[in-house]
Amino acid sequence: MSKQEKNIWEKLENLPREFLYGLLLIAFIVPMINPMGLPLPVTPEVKKWYDTIEALPSGAAIIIDQGYSGGGEPECGPFAVAVYHHIFRKGGLRVIGVATTQEGPLLWDKAMAEVNPEKYGRKYGVDYIMLGYFAGVETAMAALGKDLRALTSTDYKGASLDQYPVMQGIKGATTVNLLICYTTGGDQSEGWVRQWYTPYKTPYLCNVLALMMPTMLPYMKAGQIVSLTSGAQAGQMESLVKVPARGIAGADVMTFTEILVSAFVVVGNIAYFGRRASKKKA
Amino acid sequence: MAIAMDLASVTSIWLAALFTIWAYSYTFRDNVWFKFAEHIYVGAAAGNLIVLGIDNVIRYGWLPLTKGSMLYIVVFLLGILLYSRYHGKYFWISRFPLALMVGIGIGLSMRSTVTSEFIAQIQSTVTMKVLGVADPWTAFSNLVFIIITLCVVYFFVFTFPGIHKGNLGIISKIARYSMMAAFGYSFANGFLSRVTMIFGRLDFLKSQWLPLPGAMVALPIVLVLLVYAMLPAEKRPWPKPTKSK
Amino acid sequence: MLSIAAVIVMADYFLKIPGTSAVVTDLQNWGVILSAFALGYGAVNLFYVHTRHISRRTPGQWPYSICLLVMLVLFSVVGVSLKYTGPEYQWLYNSTLFALSATIYSSTGFYIASGCYRALRARNSEAAILMIVGLIVLLKNAPALAVGVPILVTMENWLSSVPTTSAQRGIMMGAALGAIALGVRTMIGRETGFLGRLTEAER
Repeated sequence: MSKQEKNIWEKLENLPREFLYGLLLIAFIVPMINPMGLPLPVTPEVKKWYDTIEALPSGAAIIIDQGYSGGGEPECGPFAVAVYHHIFRKGGLRVIGVATTQEGPLLWDKAMAEVNPEKYGRKYGVDYIMLGYFAGVETAMAALGKDLRALTSTDYKGASLDQYPVMQGIKGATTVNLLICYTTGGDQSEGWVRQWYTPYKTPYLCNVLALMMPTMLPYMKAGQIVSLTSGAQAGQMESLVKVPARGIAGADVMTFTEILVSAFVVVGNIAYFGRRASKKKA
Repeated sequence: MAIAMDLASVTSIWLAALFTIWAYSYTFRDNVWFKFAEHIYVGAAAGNLIVLGIDNVIRYGWLPLTKGSMLYIVVFLLGILLYSRYHGKYFWISRFPLALMVGIGIGLSMRSTVTSEFIAQIQSTVTMKVLGVADPWTAFSNLVFIIITLCVVYFFVFTFPGIHKGNLGIISKIARYSMMAAFGYSFANGFLSRVTMIFGRLDFLKSQWLPLPGAMVALPIVLVLLVYAMLPAEKRPWPKPTKSK
Repeated sequence: MLSIAAVIVMADYFLKIPGTSAVVTDLQNWGVILSAFALGYGAVNLFYVHTRHISRRTPGQWPYSICLLVMLVLFSVVGVSLKYTGPEYQWLYNSTLFALSATIYSSTGFYIASGCYRALRARNSEAAILMIVGLIVLLKNAPALAVGVPILVTMENWLSSVPTTSAQRGIMMGAALGAIALGVRTMIGRETGFLGRLTEAER
């Protein structure tokens, strides 16, 4: 192999990172400027999530942990918003929001502004409420499950819970029909399994970052989680709920970028084996 | 009032967009704008912690105290004693509230860990059917599952010397290969996570910032200033690099 | 104190002893309040470190320290005086913390893409498995490809439900054993790392 050909393999094996970042940016920007509406399949886990909420009887109480931080909002936020659309449109369900991360109540306000429950005829205090942030993660989860009213007597704005019809009969985990958690932290997603599912067997729907999915899969396999989804599946939930938003808009970008990075992997390996072969020949 | 609210929204979007661009600039090179954005972030995060901490103390501690639960005085005392760790001589007093917190945490996690992460997982594994399954591929998959689970648990046993050597080394090898598969899966999903996050920020810039008046003009100026800030200090005409003494 | 609290909390779960339920409810509520007090630790440390930078005029650092402390004080004052549920705090949060948090989290995506190019290479058999599984999952995560090439979905489903789940289950069980052992060691006083620095007598 000539020296020039060897340089080609080495060059291909050591492409500058600025070049890779530039290509990645192009892969983001092109489908954003020119959306193609590429197909988006609905996976069984997202369908199960949808069916679980659909099967809830009227008057059922859902505790929702708004457990993602600002960093995870672009991923978990769209999925959470799609689920809120589903819940509020179905009607007859009581949504009790809690937060195990400090940014949870602020992101709840953000999500509610995006969903606008009033357009479905839902009222704060009657159909939904936010209790606020609870420090301590698992300690807070255990306290909420055992006796919620002993821990807090106000909502996140400081108003007494007694005035809100949505909180009637809600005492703890035994009086709740479903637990939903959107989170970017393993402490939260696993903590609810330990502190709510294990002692009280509360059905649990869990939405995490895509990178956390593998660590949560054993819980789903053991039946401790009804359905485990990632925020990246927001587009699927939006297509089920028929409210297209950020999730569906991001599907084209996901296709382009995943294919591009797969190409990076292939090129890197071709360059690696090419360099090794050229060294052997030399 | 309506005009003031619009101005507030516009200012908020402008600030958020500038911070977004400055924070992303680190992927290319460190620069003063990123350092500024980073310190703003740390200060804001710490401030947010203080606000939520005070809110929690008031709502879950002070309110019950004012309603007659006098035992909460002890909690307040313990909470204040937590900060004695910054005292040069009496830092050991903070161990008491810390011990209480750790004790409660250990009790809560240990009591459920045995059931959720041990018994339930074993139960789920041993009830997987290998024989009498109609579909041979399912039977094979279940068998592989059980073997991998056992191999990986065995991999983390270090109590006895030599249990990973010789002919028993094949068990560790199977465990390593399956963990590599799991990590490859995690790595690929990790990229998917970041793709959706990056899209979220770029979507904000495209749909909320760029439509604002002046944003299309400001974008190239901001990018030029960023590239300038990323130049090595010797190549920049201003500011001059300070010579170390 | 640690062991007593832990034993009472565990006893309430496994046994039905009259009176422990109310005690554990109170203990858990106390735990939440103490965790709230502990949230201030970070801020106190930041104050200490950055006021030192400012007083010593640490070159290349002290102007940033001023910005950090100004932001910290601003958030605290606005959040406590005007309530964090108010529009002023929301404005402050959306303009700064939310934007920066989301951006900094997401910027690692560029490094992961670069890492996919440099690290996912079949240097040996283990790296080859990492690369092959990673490549299959990357391709399946492209929604249009998942629709157009169904074999990718089948392969990814098998990879996720068999080797990934089983390996993670094994890791989880090993970690659970470790956590239990650590908990027992802490309760019997063999683990003292959480106590912090030692007194003169202990040294």
